[in-house]
Amino acid sequence: MIYLDNSATTRTLPAAAEAAQKYMCESFFNPAAAYSPAVESERAVNGARARLAEAMHGSAEEIVFTSGGTESNNMAIHGALGAMRGRGQLITSAVEHPSVYEVMRGLASEYNVREAGVDKEGRLDLTSLAEQLTPDTRFVSIMQVNNETGAINDIPAIYKLVKQEAPGALVHVDGVQGFLKVPFDARSCDFYTISGHKFHGPKGVGALYVKKGTRFLGGQIGGGQERNLRSGTTNTPGIMGMDAALQYYLANQGTIWQNMRACKMRLAENLLTLPDVLINGPAPENGAPHILNMSFLGVRGEVLLHALEEKKIYVSTGSACSAHKKGKNRILNAMGVTGDRQEGAIRFSFSLFNTPAEMDEAAAAIAGLLGLLRRFRRR
Amino acid sequence: MEQVLLVRYGEIHLKGLNRPFFERKLIDGINNVLRGFHARVRRDQGRIYVYGIAEDRIDDACDALTRVFGVHSISPAMAVEKDWDAIVAAAAQLTEQAAGGRAATFKVFSRRSDKGFPMNSETINRELGHALLERFPNLSVDVHTPELKVCVEIREQAFIYAAEIMGAGGMPTGTAGRAALLISGGIDSPVAGYLMAKRGLTLSAVHFYSYPYTSERARDKVVELTRLVSRYAGPVRLHLVPFTEIQLAIYEKCPPKETTVLMRRLMMRIAELLAKQDGALALITGEALGQVASQTLESLCVTDDAVSMPVFRPLIGFDKEDIVTIAKRIGTFETSILPYEDCCTVFVPQHPVTKPEVAKLRESETMVDFAPMIAAALEKTETLEVGAD
Repeated sequence: MIYLDNSATTRTLPAAAEAAQKYMCESFFNPAAAYSPAVESERAVNGARARLAEAMHGSAEEIVFTSGGTESNNMAIHGALGAMRGRGQLITSAVEHPSVYEVMRGLASEYNVREAGVDKEGRLDLTSLAEQLTPDTRFVSIMQVNNETGAINDIPAIYKLVKQEAPGALVHVDGVQGFLKVPFDARSCDFYTISGHKFHGPKGVGALYVKKGTRFLGGQIGGGQERNLRSGTTNTPGIMGMDAALQYYLANQGTIWQNMRACKMRLAENLLTLPDVLINGPAPENGAPHILNMSFLGVRGEVLLHALEEKKIYVSTGSACSAHKKGKNRILNAMGVTGDRQEGAIRFSFSLFNTPAEMDEAAAAIAGLLGLLRRFRRR
Repeated sequence: MEQVLLVRYGEIHLKGLNRPFFERKLIDGINNVLRGFHARVRRDQGRIYVYGIAEDRIDDACDALTRVFGVHSISPAMAVEKDWDAIVAAAAQLTEQAAGGRAATFKVFSRRSDKGFPMNSETINRELGHALLERFPNLSVDVHTPELKVCVEIREQAFIYAAEIMGAGGMPTGTAGRAALLISGGIDSPVAGYLMAKRGLTLSAVHFYSYPYTSERARDKVVELTRLVSRYAGPVRLHLVPFTEIQLAIYEKCPPKETTVLMRRLMMRIAELLAKQDGALALITGEALGQVASQTLESLCVTDDAVSMPVFRPLIGFDKEDIVTIAKRIGTFETSILPYEDCCTVFVPQHPVTKPEVAKLRESETMVDFAPMIAAALEKTETLEVGAD
């Protein structure tokens, strides 16, 4: 198997699975309980909290553990707006994940929701953002890394621009694809979303960074866990599993980045030797090290995907979250990638488990299939 | 007093000497859906009685029975001795449940099959109505449009019931032989299969897939649709036929305008071969006249020309809306509209021929030697028994 869909999810590291199992089968106690083994679990979770905070240059009390990216994104928007008086303007981009994009659309009846444009590589257009910003802007939500193309947004510049034009606005950064893959400093945002299973942790766990002093209502209500910002029994197996993955990633970050970049470059170079193949998004040497988007003109991405699947090579035709929805790719549309080029787009995404040899094999498989598939175009 | 489900059947009554055969098949169908209910099913004088269903599962059992072809209607009833006091007590209990203390209108309907019972039906109506009025001062009689019907039947026991739930109608499954349904994954074919099974046919189903042009999910969808149909039709033998090679050959070697009709002809031909293997005597499709280019009268003639078996098209005179209504009622619609591409839409030509001619199509078909490809497709066909758990 050659797994090239690591932006959808990654294989859980054995160390992460072992940590999760330990907190399921041995230290299974509810950290909110009063006896000493439970206190032990609570300390472990708080240790994980501190380590996660450190990885984004924040502090432990700024971390709220959640069930993952979608919850963190929903909670950031609703929790921030719920703590504000009055309505105003909200800004997002046309290429956000549905857990931001659809939430914003749902708020359009109460707020003035605006979309800032992106350039042809999928990066936020700062000029367009500047045009949209007004003193009435309350909230801005922008992703750190475009999940289709790997384009990296200049978050410090965005943060500076927003605070300058709209001092009252809060900035949320969706870091689901960016966290640990590209450098980040939480000082240039008010909220930051991460998800554990994108960096080899378990599914069903993530976190939201909330800058100290930010007025914030939090999310679901109940027993008051997570400093009363996110109730629900603490997911110790998930949190400790994610923590183990984080530790591994941080300890090997340099090598992992190098490996992913090498795979990306190798695959791109191989594929660019084939006719009618184009890169969508930034040049492979730029952008995030783990995402590569290419169009194979004259082939439907979906068909190529299934043909590769037969050879146990797994890729994506767009983020899995939008693959459930019929119709055109909103994100590629916003970048001006349309028609044949959009129809033939495939996203490859890499992880620490991939090897350059796999890239040669995948490229050879694609080369072999293209000839056959191009013979049978839809007329 | 005992709870019993009265099951009435319709068209079977018209049968002559072979009526017991139809009744037996109907009882098979009933037993099939009532597996796990610990029911005792008994037939007597043109009626089927279901005993032994737990009180809290009566609704589920009725729901299951509405999916049995051949059932005209179902009534959950109380069975008591043919004793007047017992009948009144049961009727009172029924009224209490249905009306409680609320003001309502009612009417008694009675029927006396056992002429040994001392009161005739008119007397029962009058006396029972009187007894209920005395017990429930909030009730009044309305003989034209009563809110509550209190029905009494005097047979070997007395049966008292209020509701009559309409069944699926049709003929018991397994009384009309076997036919093979061409199932695509769209809205129409499951409905067509349902309607023909309703006339007593046992179903085989044939699905064509075009991997990698269609996905694994499209296949799962067809298996699920077949399972939904089997809730009514009983176990369905589903054949999954790989069709990519044939489709690509048509695409490459035959006139573009004719690809769809040619594809239909080859599908029919393969389906006929599989049908014969299963002992089926006819094919079933979900085609409706004029719905798409391959469903014009001319196209249907060309399609029929490829096979010698009769082709049943129960939806031929239906509008899409009518088909959707049935699909929603039988619970296949939500699955049918899942957005996975099926093989019929993979290589749709821009301008398909709408008035194909048999002679021309026969000729186009000779451009490719399909026989070995058909043999290879049959070789790789996968067969599942769906709904036979």
